[in-house]
Amino acid sequence: MSTLIEFKDVVKEYKSGDHVLRAMDNVNFTIDEGEFVVILGPSGAGKSTLLNLLGGLDSTTSGQIIVNGEHVENFNDNELTKYRAKNVGFIFQFYNLIPNLTALENVELMKDIVDVNINGEEVLNSVGLEGHSNQFPAQLSGGEQQRVSIARAVAKQPAMLLCDEPTGALDSKTGVLILNLLQDMSNNKNTTVIIVTHNAILAEAADKVIRIKNGQIESIVINENPRKVEDLEW
Amino acid sequence: MSLFKKMLRDIKVNKTQFISIFLMAFIGIFAFCGVCSEYYGLEQTSSEFYSDTNLADGWIYNTTITDGAIDEIKNFTTDYEKQMVVQSVGNFSNDPEITLHFVEDNEISKFYTTEGEDFNSSDDSGVWLDKRFADAWNLTVGDNITFKFNGLTLEKEIKGIGYSPEYVYEASPTSIIPNFKDMGFAYLSNESFPLSDIPYNVLLVKFNQSPDDFKDSLDDSVEYLSYTQQSDHVSVSQFNEEMAQHKMIGDVFPIVFILVTFLTLLTTMTRIVTHQRTQIGVLKAVGYKNRTIILHFMSYGFWLVLAGAVLGLISGPAIIPDLFYPTMTSRYSLPEWNPGFDISFVVVAAAMVISSLLVSYIAARNISKENPANTMRPKAPNMSSSGFLENSKLWTKLNFNLRWNYRDAKRNNFRALMAIVGVMGCVALLISAFGMNDSMENLKTWEYDDISHFDSKLIIKSGASLSDIDDVREEVNGSTIMEQAIEIKAQGNEKTASLLTLNNTNLISQTDKNKNPINLSDTDISLSAKTAESLNVGVGDTVEWHIIGYDDWVKCKITNIHGEPLSQGIILSSDKLEDLGLNFTPTSIITTEHVDDDYDSIKSVSTLNQMVSNWNEMIGSVMMMVSILIFFAVLLAIVVLYNLGILSFTEIEREVATLKVLGFKTADLRKLLLTQNLFFTAIGFILGIPLGFYLMTLMLNAAGESLYYIPSLTLGNILLSGFITFVVSIVVNLLFSSKIKNLNMVEALKDVE
Ligand SMILES: Nc1ncnc2c1ncn2[C@@H]1O[C@H](COP(=O)(O)OP(=O)(O)O)[C@@H](O)[C@H]1O
Ligand SMILES: [Mg+2]
Repeated sequence: MSTLIEFKDVVKEYKSGDHVLRAMDNVNFTIDEGEFVVILGPSGAGKSTLLNLLGGLDSTTSGQIIVNGEHVENFNDNELTKYRAKNVGFIFQFYNLIPNLTALENVELMKDIVDVNINGEEVLNSVGLEGHSNQFPAQLSGGEQQRVSIARAVAKQPAMLLCDEPTGALDSKTGVLILNLLQDMSNNKNTTVIIVTHNAILAEAADKVIRIKNGQIESIVINENPRKVEDLEW
Repeated sequence: MSLFKKMLRDIKVNKTQFISIFLMAFIGIFAFCGVCSEYYGLEQTSSEFYSDTNLADGWIYNTTITDGAIDEIKNFTTDYEKQMVVQSVGNFSNDPEITLHFVEDNEISKFYTTEGEDFNSSDDSGVWLDKRFADAWNLTVGDNITFKFNGLTLEKEIKGIGYSPEYVYEASPTSIIPNFKDMGFAYLSNESFPLSDIPYNVLLVKFNQSPDDFKDSLDDSVEYLSYTQQSDHVSVSQFNEEMAQHKMIGDVFPIVFILVTFLTLLTTMTRIVTHQRTQIGVLKAVGYKNRTIILHFMSYGFWLVLAGAVLGLISGPAIIPDLFYPTMTSRYSLPEWNPGFDISFVVVAAAMVISSLLVSYIAARNISKENPANTMRPKAPNMSSSGFLENSKLWTKLNFNLRWNYRDAKRNNFRALMAIVGVMGCVALLISAFGMNDSMENLKTWEYDDISHFDSKLIIKSGASLSDIDDVREEVNGSTIMEQAIEIKAQGNEKTASLLTLNNTNLISQTDKNKNPINLSDTDISLSAKTAESLNVGVGDTVEWHIIGYDDWVKCKITNIHGEPLSQGIILSSDKLEDLGLNFTPTSIITTEHVDDDYDSIKSVSTLNQMVSNWNEMIGSVMMMVSILIFFAVLLAIVVLYNLGILSFTEIEREVATLKVLGFKTADLRKLLLTQNLFFTAIGFILGIPLGFYLMTLMLNAAGESLYYIPSLTLGNILLSGFITFVVSIVVNLLFSSKIKNLNMVEALKDVE
């Protein structure tokens, strides 16, 4: 399997006045294509920061982020937008659907961004939302909304799915279903899935587990025999 | 007081929003009070002047006022005073006409001295002179001045200079703009009269009855030449007409303005509180009392609205009236021009502060009534069932931009409505302002292109012999006309109007009220449309009229109705006039030749060009208002649209961030907001045009008795209004576009509303 993502000596500092906070301190790792990666760490460790840098929402202070051989850290605004559109599917804790658009329209929205033939109904079916396509976000449960946001993310067939605590706002039963869905995406469609969580149990299901603490990598563990999410003891 | 700290910090974070609240309150009150204050100023200053100087309630004219008549009139007056009023010629190069008042004691229509000593009715060596005339000729107290009248010469020392309540407006024989070098008035003691027996010819009266009752009593008891009541006195009525115009603009404009301001302000206040929805929930969950929370959110806009309103209340009347008064002094003479004040200013300002408190209260209370758990979650948008458009085939073909905007407008229909009404109000103000301009231009071309075809108008000296007049007429190849003020009555209505008698000339032609040419024959008697309307008569009806100063009333049938912008009344031929038993006494000669020469029988010459520039000067104060209207309309448009921009931006910031994360280009997102803005602007613009036209018609209808406007609006000015509106809309939008570019996605997505 080829390397999709490489972080080299990545540093991210937040300046507030004369106080400097190092949220990302010399971080190095690689992620292969199709890997199911879990990032673990306590609150404030820098997990979201890592994901935001990778997703092109924020810029590094120093270091290199190489995706598909391209240096993301050198991208300008326009290139970043293109990069996000083509490579990145974001899934957030609070779904961030467009409230004005129906489930189907939220998914088909992606047609405006990428040149991919999207059959919105099909994608919604694949995340288990048959019959909900014409409902607005406010008319869906949290789990359903998160499914729509997954459908929206995968519809454009990105190289990677970046999920920042995707189950944080869901009850555990619904959360498992969502995580299961994400693992399927990785296994069946060969999409690289990176999930940020503070729930250590998920580690057993991951191909690779990256633990961070205080903005530094604590350990990187490769799991030879990852378990299925549904088989885990929650 | 940590809540107070929170408020300050909230205001700091949303400073543009709060600045716009302050500005809206300020501009709204500023324009409202300023424009109203101008009008109230005219009214208050003039009526104060009238009462300080004890302006007469009526003037009874006769060849001589006899003691016998006075004994009769005494019975139904509270005060009276005899005057001998005579036209004289001053010893200046241009033979100015100076009206002399020889007075007994000057307790009625008192001379108001601004320089020199007060009027002294037993001083037979002095004269108290018209300030405007004195200024025009650089005369000062101590100078001597000579008057000639009826073959008598009078030389007096100027003891005082000042104003008179009977000369706030001095009717000029030669033009609509008074030339203060040409005319003036002076007050003298009756003891200065050169003859021992003074032929008093005016009796000034004060009375308690209604003017009509007084007239009846007068008619029952004595014979007299003519009688003028206060409201018909040319100085008073002309000034009242001017005030009426200002009042109409001053009523319509500030009301529309303040309504738009209220609307925008109140919506904004509601929105600001609603945005704090989750915070209200949190405060409640933490244990704050409902009352504390509501008070906290009420105090949000309160101080800013209060500050804006108070500042506007003070600075509006201090600044705006002074912009008008200079243009007013070219036509009117008052000792001082002070902005007026009315309790309604305070009421409107207070209403603004109170109602903004009220809407914050209602918004905060509604939210705090919900249970905190509910409040801490974002409010579920009220999603109406999908409409006709969404079910149609077309819907799926629409691009995201249109779909999103359609839904956004539908879901936030209150915001959409506010945007449209706000733009509509601004456009209406712009359109009515430009329309005023167009209508005045229209009037000008009507009068000076369509109706008048002469180059020069020679004003004949009163008393010039007919043969002298005829000599001049032949020399300049002109035609004589007779213009007089008349009183006309029909159907129980009575009006002052003008009489124009033409002597076979094509130098003045007639039009109907839509500017189409009409021809009057020698036997026609035509009444102007406006007079016909106010007397409620038409073709075939009989009217009764007499020339003011003469007692012969004539009855005649109206054969035509004509339209005339500048003077309202009767037009007929000299033959017809004589048929009716009146003398044709020419008052001017009109000619296509350009006349520069002096003639003994001619008092002055005015050219058409001068008349046009006089007209321009005359409408100066109205045009000033129009410019101010345009200025404030644009300002209001900026504030309304800007405010709207901030509102929609804060409301959709999170969505915009999400779209940006998904990979939408900044340009696309800009377009998204621009589309919405332009769409609302377009609807508001289209609706604003008829509203503006209506407002303009309201204002023009108040233009006074003598002017007849055709409400007009050129395509060019419609386009210009559109251009201004859309430019403002787009510029304001660009301000927000930069916000999209710099939007920090991570931060925007971090917090849940
Ligand atoms: N915009 C910011 N400005 C300053 N500090 C920030 C900002 N965003 C995050 N941080 C800090 O960076 C550190 C890492 O944050 P984050 O990546 O959000 O942690 P988490 O692992 O909980 O997702 C935290 O200490 C946080 O306070
Ligand atoms: Mg985080």
